[in-house]
Amino acid sequence: MILVTGGNGFLGQWVVRKLLERTQASIRCLVRPSPAPPAVSGVVAQWPGRKIELHPASLPAPAAALAAALDGVRVVVHIAAGKQGSAPALVANTVVGSEALFQAAVRARVERFVLVGSLGVHDTASLPRGAMVDEDTPLDPHPEWRDPYTFSKHRQETLAREYALNHGLPLVVVRPGVIIGPSAEILVTRVGLRMFGMLLHLGGANRLPFTYVSNCADALVDAATRTSLGSDTFNVVDDDLPTSRQIVRAYRSKVRRVRSIFLPRMALGPVARMNAWANRRTQGQIPIVFSEYDARTIWKNLSFSNERAKSLLGWIPAVPMRAALEATFQSHASD
Amino acid sequence: MRIAVVGCGQIADAHIQEARKIEGVEVAAVCDSNIHMAEQAARRFAVPASYTDLARMLSEQRPDIVHITTPPATHLAIAKLAIAQGAHVYVEKPLTLDVLEADELLEFAARQGKLVCVGHNYAFDAPARRVRELLRSGRLGEAVHVDAMMGYDLTGAFGGVIMGDAHHWVHALPGGLPQNNISHPLSLVVPFLGDAAPTVTAVGRRLRQARFGDRRDAWFDEIRVLLHAGSVSAGVTFSCRMRPIQMALAVYGTRQHVFANFESRTLRTVAAADAPGPFRRLQLARRDAVESRREFRGRFWDFLHSRLQYFEGMTELLRQFYSATRGAGPEPIPMSQARLVSWLIDEIFGQCKAAEDKT
Repeated sequence: MILVTGGNGFLGQWVVRKLLERTQASIRCLVRPSPAPPAVSGVVAQWPGRKIELHPASLPAPAAALAAALDGVRVVVHIAAGKQGSAPALVANTVVGSEALFQAAVRARVERFVLVGSLGVHDTASLPRGAMVDEDTPLDPHPEWRDPYTFSKHRQETLAREYALNHGLPLVVVRPGVIIGPSAEILVTRVGLRMFGMLLHLGGANRLPFTYVSNCADALVDAATRTSLGSDTFNVVDDDLPTSRQIVRAYRSKVRRVRSIFLPRMALGPVARMNAWANRRTQGQIPIVFSEYDARTIWKNLSFSNERAKSLLGWIPAVPMRAALEATFQSHASD
Repeated sequence: MRIAVVGCGQIADAHIQEARKIEGVEVAAVCDSNIHMAEQAARRFAVPASYTDLARMLSEQRPDIVHITTPPATHLAIAKLAIAQGAHVYVEKPLTLDVLEADELLEFAARQGKLVCVGHNYAFDAPARRVRELLRSGRLGEAVHVDAMMGYDLTGAFGGVIMGDAHHWVHALPGGLPQNNISHPLSLVVPFLGDAAPTVTAVGRRLRQARFGDRRDAWFDEIRVLLHAGSVSAGVTFSCRMRPIQMALAVYGTRQHVFANFESRTLRTVAAADAPGPFRRLQLARRDAVESRREFRGRFWDFLHSRLQYFEGMTELLRQFYSATRGAGPEPIPMSQARLVSWLIDEIFGQCKAAEDKT
């Protein structure tokens, strides 16, 4: 039995679809209680012969509810996490919620716990420009200087590692890059920031660590089902990563016109420092749009390795980047 | 002045940031029953100490003022513990679960010689202060009727968190989410009601679609309240449907009226016109235009002087409260007003519930 948390979400539905396609495993989805039919029901309906249990519970759930959800479960794929909101809300959702699941998984003696992390947790600030980010790149020592989502994912992964070290949680961490796909946001922060109806284009020639949602789901299924896999970590990005500039151009030609102002790399630091000065000077009236630390961590022509996922998981990004972008842009164009 | 914040949820961020804007204030410690919540606040704001044990925090840190930003059901116990350890307390709204608890807290604080301030920060936003100043100056004459309106977005920064979590403490309040928020518009009208206990008529309606099948569907999302106290009446509206959401205050006086918009931080006054016939309309419209121009210039000036802060009212309330704890000024929110708001909340949700039970 495989338990999937967040099975109703964008990535979660694809993971359930791939588990149905590629395995004969029994599947249980932890879904938020709701009188409306869960979104994952649409996926389940396409496999009439397969049985999927939908287990209503919100994280953090009481221990008894989680024990029931984990009854008979050998593998957990933990996708559920807060995506938007303030840092306290995301920590409450993602970290506090996950800890209850880590504890329950240890008690239930699951054989594997696949945590969906984030590629953003790495200490890229201390890397030289143009460096390669891989699984050996350390975690950021200052997650509190990052955006609330990255902060919460950093704390979640750190906590999971503590449970692995101290309580024997059989942890496999999969860190996807930016997940794209139908309806997913594509002009993400790594591309730039939307303000006053315009795009402040910051990415320029930086390669974007995209992974198409079905490719990412494949990697998670590989991590959940691959035999003889110890505690390990895998960064998941697709091949042939596009640059930010290519994405903005393609967005303009395939989706809609977007007015943008390009901020060259040399200007990022000074603009961030001016922003910080204005924020301090106005006691927060002028918000921080992006920090100097952001400039040092995100936009520095990094490249991203997916070799470990390919070699140890046998993962292949089946949907090529060109097709992945086409599908993503098409969904935006028809919105 | 050393302060400590107990409860490290979303609103604690604002308390830490706004308190630090006041000269001489040091945020010495944060405390939360969950270690991850305490640590995240300490780490993001570089607060030197974080605790999960309140008693230990109080004895080790000896804060002058404790900010309580925990769920309302815990306010009384935490406040009494903090007061017993020698601290004044600033308590997030609503002050307590009900007026009985409010009485217990206020009496305890009075016996210990400590101050309690409830977080009615909207009443200290510039528009509310300006409206009260207009009344004090005599320009409005006597208040005849006051209206306060609060809109709430269930998909907003706070609403989204609350509606996404069936176990959120807000849903356990007898009146649910409105009970946690209606103190804001109530705190705007209460200063105009005088000392007499008002009569209350309240109606609650549930107009949103039931989506969850749990407590999140249970509470009223539209509340209308009519208050009468002596010769003054007040209306309070809480709505989850209006867009864009607004906080607004209108005071109808015996000489002039004033409309305050908390979003734009602007005021518009209405005085009698003396031009004849249709020229009266033009005269009034011209006054509106002139006042709008003046208000725009004022807000632009405020912007240049960094006064358009989101939690500006909280900073002002904290400044006045901290001064009061040093004996350098009066309590910003008299205890009688804090208690009256507690009593009104009980009365409003009691009436709404009773009406529903009848049907």
